[in-house]
Amino acid sequence: MDPRFTELLTPFLKLLGNREITPETGLRDFGLDSMQSIELLFAIEDAFGVSLPDDDLNDTTFATAGSLWNVIRTAAPEPGTAAGAA
Amino acid sequence: MTVTAPVRTPPPAGAGPSLPERVETVARVAEAHAARTDREAAFPAEALAAMRETGLLGLLVPVEYGGLGGSVGDLADASIRIGRADMSTAMIFAMHCQQVAGVAGHAGPALRDTLLPEIAAGRCYLASVTTEAGKGGHLLSAEAGLTLAGEDDDLVIDRFAPIVTGGAHADGFLITLRSPGADSPTQVSLVHARRDQLDITESGDWQPLGMRASHSVALRLTGRVPGHHVVGEHGRFSRIATEVFGPLAHIGWSACWLGTASGALSRVLTLMRGAGRGRFDLGSELLLSRLSRARQRLDSVHALLRHTEQVFAGAADVSAPRVQLLLNALKITASEQCLAAVEDLVDAVGLRHGYLKDSPTRLEAALRDLRSAALNYHNDRLHLADGRLALLDPEVRLV
Repeated sequence: MDPRFTELLTPFLKLLGNREITPETGLRDFGLDSMQSIELLFAIEDAFGVSLPDDDLNDTTFATAGSLWNVIRTAAPEPGTAAGAA
Repeated sequence: MTVTAPVRTPPPAGAGPSLPERVETVARVAEAHAARTDREAAFPAEALAAMRETGLLGLLVPVEYGGLGGSVGDLADASIRIGRADMSTAMIFAMHCQQVAGVAGHAGPALRDTLLPEIAAGRCYLASVTTEAGKGGHLLSAEAGLTLAGEDDDLVIDRFAPIVTGGAHADGFLITLRSPGADSPTQVSLVHARRDQLDITESGDWQPLGMRASHSVALRLTGRVPGHHVVGEHGRFSRIATEVFGPLAHIGWSACWLGTASGALSRVLTLMRGAGRGRFDLGSELLLSRLSRARQRLDSVHALLRHTEQVFAGAADVSAPRVQLLLNALKITASEQCLAAVEDLVDAVGLRHGYLKDSPTRLEAALRDLRSAALNYHNDRLHLADGRLALLDPEVRLV
């Protein structure tokens, strides 16, 4: 996962403590609620210059850091470039 | 864990009464006792006994476990019919079915193989324990925690719930609790406990405005159950809530409310065309418009109910915002329009038949009962959720 992604994600996971974010990190378990997932979505779209497809905005996508990252990566084939440009 | 084969005792095809006949039996028993259970705020024990005897408690239990193998559409049909007779009984039934669907869809083999045949045989009425003081009605969080004990990871339960519908009469409970070792209040597990596995203390009195026979009391539940009594994975209750409890609650409740309002309209029309003929001015444009409005509301709710039921049955992912929005719209619309239809009827027939308790229209009871519909998982809360979900579907794809 892109370090910019985990950095962006960290403030949304208020129950994370000192744990490291891995692809298996459960977003809901560590404090992401439904209102914050909207804010997170906006933050991702701004940071990576992507628009996530409506069909991917379901519970499966927002389940773990890894599942969310996969959707971002698919939406932006080279997110590093987009992030660098942002 | 030993996996045993399910008890396969399907009823022979064509044997016994048809599903509509079983439902009719329960509805008639509910109707016969409705006046007393409402007056005394007493649980509809006779109607529950009829649900046990007719096998209706096992409506959603798959046939291979001895159940009736009914669909969500069958649940809606039954809830509408029973709701015409008594809304409290209908809600008790619909909420039990919602619990059964949770077990059938998410329990492990060991729990399914013991519990589902008991439900099918009419020996297990399940109540839901999701309310908790201090969490403001949030379904997806829990304060009281589960702890593990013993070599087999038994689950230790110590839980207070301010409102448990039918709690004093249930044979078993599905209880939400914070998962063992949870990092946050949103890691919630769903656990089954039989009445004989728990010490139960009932508190408070039940004297509500309407829904008086639902007997929703406060309970403190303590006890210990085997580890395999967890329904679904630990910490993953939100999945059961999204895929089963939410949809079946909204479809089931809406059907109960539609039944109650339909029964009210039917009794008004029957009175106008029968014993009351001559006492109502059936040429009154105001009266006719009010009847029309009530009927229109019920047809709208019915259409939305049937559509939602089909979308749910065919949805690849129930968590998709457009599906969740539809399910919530059904609940909100049904809770508002069924109550409004009865209000129309009260205006249409006036004080004697619209307001007095002893009118054969029973509008007074229907109005009191339906007033609770907006509060049952409050519409305000659903509108907040829907606002967020709407933002996740900017293309506005209607299903």
